[in-house]
Amino acid sequence: MKIVAVTACPTGIAHTYMAAARLEKIAKNFGHEIKVETQGAMGIENRLTENDIRQAHIAIFAVDIEVEERERFNGVKVIQVPLQEALKNPENIFSKLQH
Amino acid sequence: MIELLKSLRQHLLTGVSFAIPFIACGGILIAAAIAFAPMTPTGPDFTQAPRLRLVLDIGTAALTLMLPVLAGYISYSVAGKPGLLPGFLGGYLSGQVKAGFLGAMLAGLVAGYVVQGLKKVPVSKYLRPIMPILVIPIVSGAFIGVLMIKVLGVPIALLMQNVSRGLVSMSTGNNIVLALILGAMIAFDMGGPVNKTAFFFGAAMIREGNYQIMGACAAAICTPPLGMGLATLIRKRLWSNEEREAGLAAIAMGLIGITEGAIPFAASDPIRVIPSIVIGSAVASAIAMAAQVGDHAPHGGPIVLPVVDHRVAYVLAILAGTVLTASLVVLLKTRNNKVAARKTEAA
Repeated sequence: MKIVAVTACPTGIAHTYMAAARLEKIAKNFGHEIKVETQGAMGIENRLTENDIRQAHIAIFAVDIEVEERERFNGVKVIQVPLQEALKNPENIFSKLQH
Repeated sequence: MIELLKSLRQHLLTGVSFAIPFIACGGILIAAAIAFAPMTPTGPDFTQAPRLRLVLDIGTAALTLMLPVLAGYISYSVAGKPGLLPGFLGGYLSGQVKAGFLGAMLAGLVAGYVVQGLKKVPVSKYLRPIMPILVIPIVSGAFIGVLMIKVLGVPIALLMQNVSRGLVSMSTGNNIVLALILGAMIAFDMGGPVNKTAFFFGAAMIREGNYQIMGACAAAICTPPLGMGLATLIRKRLWSNEEREAGLAAIAMGLIGITEGAIPFAASDPIRVIPSIVIGSAVASAIAMAAQVGDHAPHGGPIVLPVVDHRVAYVLAILAGTVLTASLVVLLKTRNNKVAARKTEAA
């Protein structure tokens, strides 16, 4: 399925990007199509477009802080997990999606 | 080019939308404090009213924060999170060097685009993490600091001095011309350096026993917010909900002589709003001068009526300036909307 995701941590210089890389890798293993937006200290990068979000079946927020511009995701099913989850057990997140 | 202007406008509007609550809170609290304090020849008197003084201080703090917030979120709109630091810094310094809200708007845009540029500098993967927490804040902060203090602040201070001297030498000449200039200056940047120069000149003249210069300034001080407020009432369609609310707040601020009430409008559409308020204020000022209106307090707007000579003429001058400002801005906005509509039809 098509997935969009947002990663964000308080400092926004390391974990945000590590989590994004993890999610991309594991999603591919599960055969999903994913695009991950990072909301780090540089601000929003790899921004999800309106189109990306509309076409997505689900949005994953792997965040420890508030998601910026959350209103963009109105009307999309959102799963929110702590950022650690995306680093340590990303498989869990995706296996939950199967049901 | 048009795309660039459009995105500039969008960034300015983002900043304005964050700054509006600060203007409303600061402006209204200051206005309320002044409204209830006794008006004396040295301005509103707070020595016997500690509670009003408190309200005034809170309002002043909110209005002081307005400049950093305005610049900070303009810069944020351009460059995202890393834009906040130089934006806030530039806005704060704009207040320090008395560059007012025009200085803050400039600071916000420059800060944003500087950060935008810095983000594009290619760096090795290992240095990348320190870019947003160390390199970008320090470099952009230092840049905007030098710009505001050295490049903008020094000439502004010089200019204010020279203009003050020019005004003094003009005060022996044609009073109506002087009033037109003073009125235009009062409206031009609403509390910024140009406004303050005219205001301090009027206030200094009170001490010399010349009340008419301040009388002319006093009429000009309130017509920008009153005129913009009136414009939002007579042509509701031209304005967003946010602007209509700002319009009501502007009227309240105008009545108490707080020119800053017009800033939300001027910041979101300077090209049409600033000329309208400048002309309205200049005319109000000239009418007050022609009718020899005198103001014994270094403050403006209808609130100073008790210490004004020739009160009827003062009120008429304010009404004339207010109606003129409102008509001009409605005219310009309507015309612009029609042109825009025609363009979209053509496309």
